[in-house]
Amino acid sequence: MTLRSGWLKLPWRQEGRRNRDPYWDFFINTPPADRANSVFDVIRMAPEGNVFPTRADLHSPEVTARHVKEMAHYLGADLVGITELDHDDAGHPFAIVCAVRADVDPREAAGIGGQVPVQNGLFVTFVLSAWIRELGYRASMAPTLDGARLAVIAKLGTLDRAGRLVTRELGTRVHVADVIRTDLPLTAA
Amino acid sequence: MAVTQGTETPAPPYLGRSVRIVGPVANVDMNQTPHPKNSRGELGKALFNWYRNTISRDPLTRVSAPNHFADPRNFLASVVNQAPKGKISSKQMPVSDPAAMTRHIKAVAHHMGADVVTVARAHPSFLYAASTPPSGARDVYQNRSGDVYQGRTPEQMTERYPYIIVATTAWDYDKLQAHRHYIGDAAYHVSQMKAQLILKALEGYIRELGYAALRGMSNPQAAGLASGVGELGRNGLLIHRKFGARVHMPDPIMTDLPLVPDQPVDNGVEDFCKICRKCAINCPTNSVPFGDKVVFNGVEKYKINWLTCYKVRPYMDAHWGSCLTCATVCPFTKPNVWWRSLTVWALSTCPIPARPLLVRALKAIDDRFWGTTRQTRVRWLGYDSGIKPGEQACTVAGCTAEHGTAHAAEPVGNVGYYAPLKENTNRFVKRDA
Repeated sequence: MTLRSGWLKLPWRQEGRRNRDPYWDFFINTPPADRANSVFDVIRMAPEGNVFPTRADLHSPEVTARHVKEMAHYLGADLVGITELDHDDAGHPFAIVCAVRADVDPREAAGIGGQVPVQNGLFVTFVLSAWIRELGYRASMAPTLDGARLAVIAKLGTLDRAGRLVTRELGTRVHVADVIRTDLPLTAA
Repeated sequence: MAVTQGTETPAPPYLGRSVRIVGPVANVDMNQTPHPKNSRGELGKALFNWYRNTISRDPLTRVSAPNHFADPRNFLASVVNQAPKGKISSKQMPVSDPAAMTRHIKAVAHHMGADVVTVARAHPSFLYAASTPPSGARDVYQNRSGDVYQGRTPEQMTERYPYIIVATTAWDYDKLQAHRHYIGDAAYHVSQMKAQLILKALEGYIRELGYAALRGMSNPQAAGLASGVGELGRNGLLIHRKFGARVHMPDPIMTDLPLVPDQPVDNGVEDFCKICRKCAINCPTNSVPFGDKVVFNGVEKYKINWLTCYKVRPYMDAHWGSCLTCATVCPFTKPNVWWRSLTVWALSTCPIPARPLLVRALKAIDDRFWGTTRQTRVRWLGYDSGIKPGEQACTVAGCTAEHGTAHAAEPVGNVGYYAPLKENTNRFVKRDA
């Protein structure tokens, strides 16, 4: 959210601090006893809002694609890609793939802390798809689509043997958020 | 109201040099604060209609502002804040060292994306009076202190839940430069939404640890002062050491988790505000006082005129939602970089009698290099504050789209235009000094 510039940060200091923290493992690895204490279920289950009846005055598709990426970065995405969808059941021509930094893999760490990348990813995709709907175009989060495969098509990285996304910027420490399907006029990649 | 018969009232809290408690403090009734007053129509038709019935022209405001949306389902904070609360875990995490737990909670909040995390010791005067909002409020600030109290007095509440966790985010510095513009609104509203998500997740995590987490109870500014988020400036905003006035003050978490409270800080704000008055000069509605502190509800502080601050908003609906001028022009609002750290460090370590001299020098530097008013031109996405209010132009490089006919010429120079201009508001709002 804020400027990242500042004093030079030593990358190993934070790790050491976490190793000394007696509660950090509980935060990362212990799944919540009551799922209502984690925020992502409520965001995932929330009904989708209306598409605004008047379409906004858009720029050309290349510029709009640039703006969508800029907005996703502002909301906290680390990597953003756009691909064309060939045969989508609802007829959406484009998919927007957002990936966020994940120091621990949310598929293995079930605690509230381990799921923080999921929370950050949902923040990006919820607000981004709501923004596109308010621009007057259809957009919906599609958890059923294979985000990692689409991320490869969007040239964010490649898949490793286990089917995980490997990227230039973050390696495997990356979580692919729910894919957004949209009919906003964009250009791929 | 704070003093209930038959209960011990603790000594008034120390809130730093900027605010002093001089008399009995009545607990603030949430229903008598500006937004709830307006939602009941007590501030007149124009404000009521703007608050309840208008839809913003800006798509980003419609997904990020706590009002003026076309469909609340497109607004994340309304989804998050109306979610049902989870249960407190039956397995309570034993806390042998509260200092380690305090470090842990701060690390957790930072991990979730908070910029500022502090812990205050709760005091009865920080709490809102037991009240319930009117039903069917469109407002997402759902304050239900009445439900939380369950018949207890404020003294009993602070005894049972002795700590308040203040976790918050800062606004983006570069976008904030376009105050009184939709770009500045985006900096404000998007980070506000993020802060609400973080607080909700933190609240859930404290319940998972087996402790209570209460929201809608504590006045965020009082808790922020007591825990050293910052000092209260002339503009009525908490001024933080790193971020200046660009921090949110969302609803903090009151808890019985054993923690170690932080102390109030001295950033030199007290000495700066005595001399500077930049926010008072730049306020488009002259709502920030030029004069000295006043005593209000037993608290000695600078008091802004919230009604004139609020009243200009419906008229500016086509240009912005949040004014933010006093936060932007504040000399403490600077990027979080080494020269700002150095300056604040120098000011806060300077002996107090010598500070006015240093403040005058710093104020002169600020006026010289950042200007007495802020007119930076900011371009972000398709927005451009170099286009005069009311005019339209596409200044995006490489755009080949047809935008219709009503287009002004390309702006010349690097000046930002922010409505309303100062000379336009001097006509209808009187200065108080």
